[in-house]
Amino acid sequence: MAEISEAPSTLDPDFDQENMRKSKPGLKRLTLSLAVLFSFLLGLPFLLKSIEIYRSPLPFREIDDLSTAFESSPILFPCHFRAVFVNFDPNSYTADQLSISVQAHMAKFAAKNSLACGTCASNVTVSVTLDSNSNCISNGNNVDWKCGALNEFKFAEKHEDGLLDEYLASLCDNNSGAKVYTVVVVKTEQEEVRAVVGKYRHAWIMGRIFEEEAIEKIAEIFVNVFVNGGKEEGLIHGEFMPLGADGRIVLSFNLLNADPHNWIYDWDFQEIDENLLSPVIDALKPLADVSVESQVLYHTPKSSFSFWDDRLDSYIFSTKDLPFFVNSNEWHLDTSVAAGGLSKILQFVVYVPSAKECPLQLQLPNGEISTTNGFISPMWGGIVVWNPSACLMDSKIKHPLRYKISSEDSRKLFEVFMGQLRQLFGLKSDGLFVGASGTSILLASERGFSEWELDVLSRQHSCFNLLQCGTTLGSLSRLVQSLPRMIIMDDIGKQVKYSLEAARLTLSNASLGIYDASAESSRQARLLAEDAFYHPSMMSVSYYSFEHCFAVYSPFFLPVLLHVLLAVLREWKRYKQESKKYYAWKAKVK
Amino acid sequence: MFKCCLHSQLQFRSETSLESDHLMGSREPIVLMFLILISTYESSAKGGIAEELNEEFTEGLLLRPLPDRKVLAHFHFQSIVPPTRIYGRHHHLFPKSIYQLVNKFRVREMELSFTQGRWNYERWGGYDPISSSSAKPPGVELWADFDVPLDQVDDSWRNLTHALSGLFCASINFLEHSTSYSAPQWSFHSFAGKLRYGTLPREALCTENLTPWLKLLPCRDKAGLSALMDRPSIHKGYYHSQRLHLTSDDFGTAKSNAGTMLEQTLTVVLQPNTLGARAMVSGKTLQPSWSLNSLFGRKVHGKCSVSKSSNVYVQFEQNLVSELKEVRKKSEAPESGILIHDDFGNNTIFEMSASPDRVVKEVENLQKEDSSILLEFLVEDYNDSKPFDLGLRWKLPVVWSCQQAPLYASRFLMGSGNERGAIAISLKSLSSNNTPTVGCCEKGSQLRINIFQVVPWYVKVYYHTLKVFIDGELQSTMENIEKIHISPSEDKVSPGVMEMILRLPCGVITAALTLEFDKGFLHIDEYPPDANQGFDIPSAVVSFTDFQACVSFEDNLLNKLPILNELQERKHVISYTEVLLVPLTTPDFSMPYNVITITCTVFALYFGSLLNVLRRRVGEEERRFKSKAAKKKGPLTSLLSKLSAKLKGRPVEPPETPSTSPSLINNKLPPETPSTSPSLINNKLVLKVILVAGIAAGWQYYFR
Repeated sequence: MAEISEAPSTLDPDFDQENMRKSKPGLKRLTLSLAVLFSFLLGLPFLLKSIEIYRSPLPFREIDDLSTAFESSPILFPCHFRAVFVNFDPNSYTADQLSISVQAHMAKFAAKNSLACGTCASNVTVSVTLDSNSNCISNGNNVDWKCGALNEFKFAEKHEDGLLDEYLASLCDNNSGAKVYTVVVVKTEQEEVRAVVGKYRHAWIMGRIFEEEAIEKIAEIFVNVFVNGGKEEGLIHGEFMPLGADGRIVLSFNLLNADPHNWIYDWDFQEIDENLLSPVIDALKPLADVSVESQVLYHTPKSSFSFWDDRLDSYIFSTKDLPFFVNSNEWHLDTSVAAGGLSKILQFVVYVPSAKECPLQLQLPNGEISTTNGFISPMWGGIVVWNPSACLMDSKIKHPLRYKISSEDSRKLFEVFMGQLRQLFGLKSDGLFVGASGTSILLASERGFSEWELDVLSRQHSCFNLLQCGTTLGSLSRLVQSLPRMIIMDDIGKQVKYSLEAARLTLSNASLGIYDASAESSRQARLLAEDAFYHPSMMSVSYYSFEHCFAVYSPFFLPVLLHVLLAVLREWKRYKQESKKYYAWKAKVK
Repeated sequence: MFKCCLHSQLQFRSETSLESDHLMGSREPIVLMFLILISTYESSAKGGIAEELNEEFTEGLLLRPLPDRKVLAHFHFQSIVPPTRIYGRHHHLFPKSIYQLVNKFRVREMELSFTQGRWNYERWGGYDPISSSSAKPPGVELWADFDVPLDQVDDSWRNLTHALSGLFCASINFLEHSTSYSAPQWSFHSFAGKLRYGTLPREALCTENLTPWLKLLPCRDKAGLSALMDRPSIHKGYYHSQRLHLTSDDFGTAKSNAGTMLEQTLTVVLQPNTLGARAMVSGKTLQPSWSLNSLFGRKVHGKCSVSKSSNVYVQFEQNLVSELKEVRKKSEAPESGILIHDDFGNNTIFEMSASPDRVVKEVENLQKEDSSILLEFLVEDYNDSKPFDLGLRWKLPVVWSCQQAPLYASRFLMGSGNERGAIAISLKSLSSNNTPTVGCCEKGSQLRINIFQVVPWYVKVYYHTLKVFIDGELQSTMENIEKIHISPSEDKVSPGVMEMILRLPCGVITAALTLEFDKGFLHIDEYPPDANQGFDIPSAVVSFTDFQACVSFEDNLLNKLPILNELQERKHVISYTEVLLVPLTTPDFSMPYNVITITCTVFALYFGSLLNVLRRRVGEEERRFKSKAAKKKGPLTSLLSKLSAKLKGRPVEPPETPSTSPSLINNKLPPETPSTSPSLINNKLVLKVILVAGIAAGWQYYFR
């Protein structure tokens, strides 16, 4: 290297100018460069803080706990059962024995169908009362059965089931609030054994029946009817209950005139609404907020084909054609303005066929003609084909005639619709329950849904609401964790928090057996979870990605950092070199 | 139904009455008795039986030949439903979605129009009811009046725009921002404070807007007159406006039985398809002949089954009727008592493919002896085997002009540049037409004109610069304005609204209003994607409050048809001005990035050089440089150093001489500077200038 010493005049023969120096190398520039570098490094957290994206803290762990809890064990409700044996010999069995054997049978039935969501917990309590003429024996302590009350009811005179049902309702009506399912077994001299399930929370079995047989029947009614709602395999699963997240259903009734050139049918929906629908809406009130709307549409041909069958003397469409029956191009059924947000719309369609396909009949796969001439589509609604009576008459009229569907016909139509609505809710529509130990009659309520059915629905509803809430919150937490650059507003955090609280409240309500309150709070939980998931701010700012941030800041930081780092490196190198020289000189001097 | 047969009997009477005018004398008592019977029946029905109220749907089509060889087709559909408190909420004909909309947002009155093209007021008329009610500004226009407390009106409006935009597949929801709608006080329609008005001038109309509109009709486009709406032929017209007008008194305290009325109109101006060359008769071109099939490409196969009435009308305007009379007088020997409606199926001037079922004449037109004529055709009698295809064939050339609005309104921009400009509204009297001015002079000495204009906030109008010119001369503003209401725009909050009643002297030929404005700046986020296209100022509404656009027909008492009612409704003459396109300064949209990049680069340079200066060892580097130069010195480096020395104005330092004092090296100034003579500096300066100029010339020469 060149001469760099400051005093070349002092010519020392030992002094190697290139490799030695006399003064200590200065630290000024090195400290300066290092200070700059460290101040940069210290400033870096502040920068990151300033460009940080606001994320409201979400309780991820609690969400995971909740959803795993739902998945591992279904929500079960405590149920209370009561069996009343009337006119049985009190000496053959004690009440405790009967209770234990009913429980054993119930466990057997329950084991057959796996524990579905929203059913009763396995540790049920069955209280048994033996009501004979002379005395009354109970095993439970909170049984308020009025002994000998049934003897006042004259069975011989009144054969009507409805009357007995009302009478039993007055007997079973306890004001304590707890919902107790009762089966009354009456031993009579009749050969035939009848089992009837009433409109309230009780059933009765009458006839010449023995204890063992009665026990089995009781257990079956308890498990399969009162707990599971008399469902069979193949019916709609409870998960697909047509209930909106906000607990609202809109029933939209449509009368479709396929071709108004032939005839125009009209209905008096006002009357139908007032007389037939309002009791049903009242009955469903604890479960859902139902609103009704109607419209009449014209020029709405179906989109499937039908063929003429000479034997049946009508046009036939088969079950294979059903997926193509609904003509979404021409049937402007329309979602309604009233049903905003998350509420569910069920469409009920009366299809009046045109003259060239009248009468139109639905053929079942077994070759028979459907009696209702209608079908349902789960979560969408139901369709009934209604053939006008003027069908076979000469339809060569120049101007179409206007008719009104008679009130008798509309009553029939609405019976079918009620059945369809029950099916859409997953309930039976034929009024019979065929079990292993015989057939039971299910009394139909004029309100469409009997009380025990509503109990079943409300249990299932709260259960599936909770499941839905769990999955929604789970996917929300997965989404949030997978997108680290997404803004999460405080609203979302709050909604998630409240949703979790409502879910916990539901669980506690369910364990106490308060069905209505648990349905309400489960609905709340699901609604809040969905609101959080579909919050408008949810995905909005996820575009501010890391690449974006890098592109904005790199024009400053890249050149500056390059300078700083190079400076530090150079100074460090130089300092090391110079200090080596100094030490070399020192060693030489010594 | 009894009502139905009564109706047909009445029609029969009106048809027969035309033919047997001279017999009236003998029949009069009977007819009078019949009339009395009807009136008593009707009054009892109205008073007593509420069940008589029912939903009604009617359809109608009005065709009118236009002077410029085009044809106006005006479809009119109306659904009426009695009030909810009497009739209940379940309907058989009335569209469910509209009913729910009305009930949910408590809409008292609403009008929504989608328009493509501009109504040509000069050629297609500006005085008749159709041009006043169905000529709409381009794009979307929506106004609605709500029956809610004043503080909820804006919320209702926002919800309504969203609902409508979903219903009609249009971006009506852009009207939700407070910058895009306004609340006119008195000029637009007289509702106190609860009316909102908004337009989207750039909204394009498409079939996807027509389909939901048709969905509101019970027969959609499957049957009836709406079956004519073949999408390609309708949309290729010169003007296309679909309108939806809704009135409801469900919420009013008044116990009227009017209920909710939905009026849907589609107005199209079509060019008849003239095959080959234009037909000429005696040197003049004939008006084109047309038929429904040639206009729309379809025929009518009977009426919509649920509609109460289904009629097609052909209207001959007043000017056309008088022209027809003139032509006939010329062409034929003067006959006694020329009645234009004696033979409409086939006469010497034109020929119609079907003979009208009824001819309705306008009455109460006192200024002229001629009045417009409506030919009525009933569609009910036609069916699939005998479709209805109305045709009109001209035999003699006819030239006429439409009745014009009192003044022709137009609006334009003045000024240039991106900074400021002026809006001018000009009102011109069309010399060819003098009837309105006559009317004006009869009423009073002054002509009152209502102007309503909304200007977006980024066009900052200075309302104090309002100038009124009448017949080209500047007038005092206050004298000519009867009433004015201005709500200035607020940046990013609300648009500027100007409502005024202008008073013009009678017989005015031109009048003009000018307003100056500054163009504002928008935030970069507020620019639309096509910012360079410019920004629209919505049409101004000019209404002539002294003039009523209505045609009254004879025997209107007997036959209340909605399409005729629409023509007979008393309305002010209204015209819309053009939409203005204001170019605003548009930024370079990559600007933020450029700014960021350039600032960061400058900072980085500054920072880097500062750091380098701080850690530089100047003395050491100089020494090192010198020793390096001393060691190896090629010819090129020595030349360069010589050159640089020359340029610096320093003698070439011999690098061999080691400088003894470091201070000299540190000194940037050449040591000779104080001693150099000014002539030397001059010399060098001249040299430098020449060198730079040479380089520049070379650059120019080679890199051009």
